[in-house]
Amino acid sequence: MKPKVAFFDFASCEGCQLAVLNCEDVFLNILELVDIVEFREAMSETAPRFDVAFIEGSIHREQDVQRLQDIRARSTVLVAMGACACMGNVQARSNFIAPAQNFQWVYGEAERNSLQTDPEFWPLWAHTRVRAVKEIVAVDFELRGCPMVPEEFVHLVKSLVIGSTPHFPANAVCVECKMDENECVFDHGETCMGPITYGGCKAVCVTGGYRCDGCRGLLPHAHREAHRWLLKEKGLSDAHIDNRYRLFCSTQFQGREKP
Amino acid sequence: MSIKGGDSVRAFIIRKNAVSDWIKHLARKNSVSFPQRAGHSGFRFKPVLETSEIQFEHYRPTLAPPGKQLTPAREVLFKYRKNATADPMLESVLDSQARVLAGVRPCDLKAIDLMDRVNREGFSNPHYLTRRENTVIIAHDCLQPCDAACFCAATGSLHWRANADVFLTSLDDEILVECLSERGIALAQGDHFTLCENTEPHKKRAEALRTQPFGRQFPVPLEQLPAIIAKQWQSRVWEKHVEHCFSCGSCNMVCPTCYCFNVVDDFNLADGDSGTRTSTWDGCMLPNFSEVAGGHNFRPHPAARQRHRVKRKFEYLSQRFQEPGFCIGCGRCARQCTAQIDIFSIVSDLVSQGENDPCVP
Ligand code: SF4
Ligand code: SF4
Ligand code: SF4
Ligand code: SF4
Ligand code: SF4
Repeated sequence: MKPKVAFFDFASCEGCQLAVLNCEDVFLNILELVDIVEFREAMSETAPRFDVAFIEGSIHREQDVQRLQDIRARSTVLVAMGACACMGNVQARSNFIAPAQNFQWVYGEAERNSLQTDPEFWPLWAHTRVRAVKEIVAVDFELRGCPMVPEEFVHLVKSLVIGSTPHFPANAVCVECKMDENECVFDHGETCMGPITYGGCKAVCVTGGYRCDGCRGLLPHAHREAHRWLLKEKGLSDAHIDNRYRLFCSTQFQGREKP
Repeated sequence: MSIKGGDSVRAFIIRKNAVSDWIKHLARKNSVSFPQRAGHSGFRFKPVLETSEIQFEHYRPTLAPPGKQLTPAREVLFKYRKNATADPMLESVLDSQARVLAGVRPCDLKAIDLMDRVNREGFSNPHYLTRRENTVIIAHDCLQPCDAACFCAATGSLHWRANADVFLTSLDDEILVECLSERGIALAQGDHFTLCENTEPHKKRAEALRTQPFGRQFPVPLEQLPAIIAKQWQSRVWEKHVEHCFSCGSCNMVCPTCYCFNVVDDFNLADGDSGTRTSTWDGCMLPNFSEVAGGHNFRPHPAARQRHRVKRKFEYLSQRFQEPGFCIGCGRCARQCTAQIDIFSIVSDLVSQGENDPCVP
């Protein structure tokens, strides 16, 4: 029997599900190997059990937590797909801002006050801590990046289908950056998250002429102290550095590392 | 292949712009690469086009060394197809395209010679050797150090000539062109260059123009380094230089004598019966490089990895191949290390710190 595969979205832009649909050259081959039983982006079926559940999006509300736990209970393998699911992505920046302050910025002071006093909006207040999927349920595999890398998705599917262990080398973005013979952005006064960021994206942003902002999250061996030292050496203030770290990696940078 | 001795070495003395024209002329019929500007201040070996800027003096070592063209970052080694009734079909992928590497610095020239030995001796590597056999090298002498990072004279690379097919020496507005092999002679064939009967005066002139001392020097001669470093297993120096190391592997990726690789197999989804084996660059500074089955890592600490890298460059391979200095002093690793870690300083410290200052696990 073909493995049953499902896709679920939480707080996300659905870009990762689109990236799945964009694996055009192999998507039809994948459909021959697996049964997709849930995929809101492309169909509306539902099933009681899943061999593989792909979770897109970060987790905000209590009802999301329950839905996620329910999916986990019904799935054999659970995959966090994309930076939102893996680490809360840019929306987790709000974790560093007092909810009342945040609401005021977004809705204005009057609205903020009514949000605070109107019981109808109280559930919204639970919407204030953004969590990665692994903060709530066990995650078997992570497809990092914003959006996730289609090649890594295909590699994971292939590995699961044939029962081998997928391989996502825990190497810095710098490795692939050097493979592409890029000039390091530090050489022209720019700064970069590459040395502490989990590679696998072929350093697309540097190759494309920008820098790495760390959308694939921190490496397990990330030398954060050295990275802060490096950015300070290049003239960035602690506050500026915090901001850079929190762009994608808020859930991974809780405290400030020691100097 | 290379022709030694007076008669068969053909030398010419040519105006500089004529040499640039000659390289462009070669590029009309061959795949020729030459260091050209890339990014803000870097250089890359890029295919020579009519519009390319061919200039000899002012280029730093390229971001990636020219020898890496012989072992690309990602390379399909073979294709396979399962066969229901017989053994699987395996088809090696060999790249026999003819190419010319022009503007190769003496340090990179030595590195290619070392990699020739590594890929030829013991288990020979047909992928490398096929490319190498179809590669002609036009090297170019350095009369000034490229920048503060290089130390090629200290590693015995500056005067490397052995594997050049053509060797160029810039002298003011002229260039001495020495064809050192049959293939080198063939490259210059048909061009009406002025023969140079006696190269000695020109070489003397070049020596007079060469900066002395040439770049950074180790405190002791190169030949003594393997024995000195062999005694430094527990030195404090290893720890000292990795304080800011990211274990990012950039130093490995850009090194002309780093040749470690990983292999990955992949199958085609369309049939499931065919696929490829690909090799990709790997490096000993990467933490998972030394991880073995069961998750054990025999070099878990950056200092242990740095020690391994330095010992490879100055001790292990030097002993294995009877050639001191597998580091050829190009300075790429220090130039491109974001943590500003410099193998020259590590080695200098090892020499000056004496024996076995105990520290690293
Ligand atoms: S990781 Fe990026 S692309 Fe994927 S759902 Fe989140 S925001 Fe969208
Ligand atoms: S540009 Fe960024 S990713 Fe590339 S080598 Fe430099 S630090 Fe690493
Ligand atoms: S280079 Fe950095 S920011 Fe860009 S995709 Fe890769 S990890 Fe994300
Ligand atoms: S020495 Fe520098 S380039 Fe090498 S792994 Fe450490 S930080 Fe990266
Ligand atoms: S170790 Fe560094 S200086 Fe030596 S050959 Fe390699 S990149 Fe060049």
